[in-house]
Amino acid sequence: MAQFLQVLLSGLSTGSIYALAAIGFTLVWQAAQTVNFAQGEFVMLPAFFVLIGVHWLGMPLWLALIFGLILSMIVLGLLFKVLIVEPMLPNGGLPLIIATMALSILLKEGTKQFYGAEAQPYPGLFPQATMTLGGAVISVQDVMNLLVSLAIVVGLTLFLNRTRTGRCMQATAQSPAVAEILGVNTRRMVLYAFLINAALAALASFLISPIYLAKFSNGENLGLIAFIAAIIGGFNQIRGAIAGGLLIGVLDNLTATYITAEYRAAIPLILLIAVILWKPEGLLGTSEGRNV
Amino acid sequence: MLELKDIHGGYGKITILNGVSFTIPRASITTVIGPNGAGKSTVFKAIFGLLNIHSGQILLDGTDITRESPRQMIGHGVTYVPQGRNVVPQLSVYHNLELGGITAPDQAQVRRRIETVMEQFPILRTFRDRKAIELSGGQQKQLEVARALLLDPKLILIDEPSIGLSPNLVQEVFRTLQSLRDQGVTILMVEQNAKAALAMSDYGLVLELGQTRMHDRAATLLADPRVGRLFLGGQIGDEG
Repeated sequence: MAQFLQVLLSGLSTGSIYALAAIGFTLVWQAAQTVNFAQGEFVMLPAFFVLIGVHWLGMPLWLALIFGLILSMIVLGLLFKVLIVEPMLPNGGLPLIIATMALSILLKEGTKQFYGAEAQPYPGLFPQATMTLGGAVISVQDVMNLLVSLAIVVGLTLFLNRTRTGRCMQATAQSPAVAEILGVNTRRMVLYAFLINAALAALASFLISPIYLAKFSNGENLGLIAFIAAIIGGFNQIRGAIAGGLLIGVLDNLTATYITAEYRAAIPLILLIAVILWKPEGLLGTSEGRNV
Repeated sequence: MLELKDIHGGYGKITILNGVSFTIPRASITTVIGPNGAGKSTVFKAIFGLLNIHSGQILLDGTDITRESPRQMIGHGVTYVPQGRNVVPQLSVYHNLELGGITAPDQAQVRRRIETVMEQFPILRTFRDRKAIELSGGQQKQLEVARALLLDPKLILIDEPSIGLSPNLVQEVFRTLQSLRDQGVTILMVEQNAKAALAMSDYGLVLELGQTRMHDRAATLLADPRVGRLFLGGQIGDEG
């Protein structure tokens, strides 16, 4: 039981970070019908921004994190929207998807050339200590990662539901034509979605990099998992992305511990196939999709 | 109140409106009728800044509003209720109403207006916290009309309000529009249910092939045999 609790919490911790990336995926899809296949690299890159801040610019960690967050929002939010999405979107979804795939390669290879192929040590945000809960030895980092991720999700949910700007973002995502005739500044709302996605990716990066270290290829796995988490949860629902991320994190850990570590990478794919076969709208998704 | 002068416009290079001209007076209901493809809904989009206008002029109380954005049109006191379902499905009834006043600087005033329109549409108060998608078609249409009233508009453009509604609900929507007219609001409406709409309107406007063919008092148009032929699928120029 103690081991199960330990594995469960660790899975929830990793899963909650996957959920952050998956929520960003969903937000960008809802706001601009953009499937961002560079999302994994969006989670990989901010860790390097922080390393640049710490090692090259001599910043203390807290300042480097703020620097990384702001730079991510500019590069992965604003510039991504202005330089890639806006010019490509009028040509249809497929050219944009291909463009995000190209961006993924560019970011990955660019990071490798710029910073090197080796995994870079990344400063931990929380103490490398353990605590005991119900007989289970639990990493403080896992607990803090889970708490911080949940706080971010709760904050985002409150913003979307309890503020007028958040509701305008929802209106833009659900019924862009209606939002426009009501006078909502839809262009600004779409920009907010891209900025929030970039911020979520950066926060996921800051939380997961102490575990995985900062490596140019980290995005391959993270992007795939975020994409699958968003689909199995329900691509048009933020709560679906949360559920999908947590589910994958927990199942991954349970499989590695109780079945086999060799096939853990197959779990998200098996889940994806099962959901597409039996509940294509996703576990918490709605079948109406997005009305334009 | 509203004057369109020889409006030509369309989507991209495709021209839909080929010279639409008319004037509607304040505190009146004008129904736009015409065969499919006549450009009825397109006229509304032209007025509301959603269409590429190639030439012509639109005046509201003497002010040139040609090519102004939807946000600017709302500022001028014009609201638009498009065809079909136009609620934000996952937001509550209350928050849908709130969106109707999103451009207003004084949100306390908007909250007071929400209370006022909910008095006019009691069903919306009953379901104020329910998601808009959970309302029936008629209730959703009431929500759209109520939302259009949030900023106390001078002019409402309403496109096909009867679509998907039962005859009773259509009469209810028409009565609401007449009541608004009596309060001084000007209404321009497109309606397929042409006879019923003309019967409750002050003026009628016949569009065909993107041009104004007839513009007269609604009762006069109702009595005109050429309009009758139009509704039976002919064209105004047809002899038989």
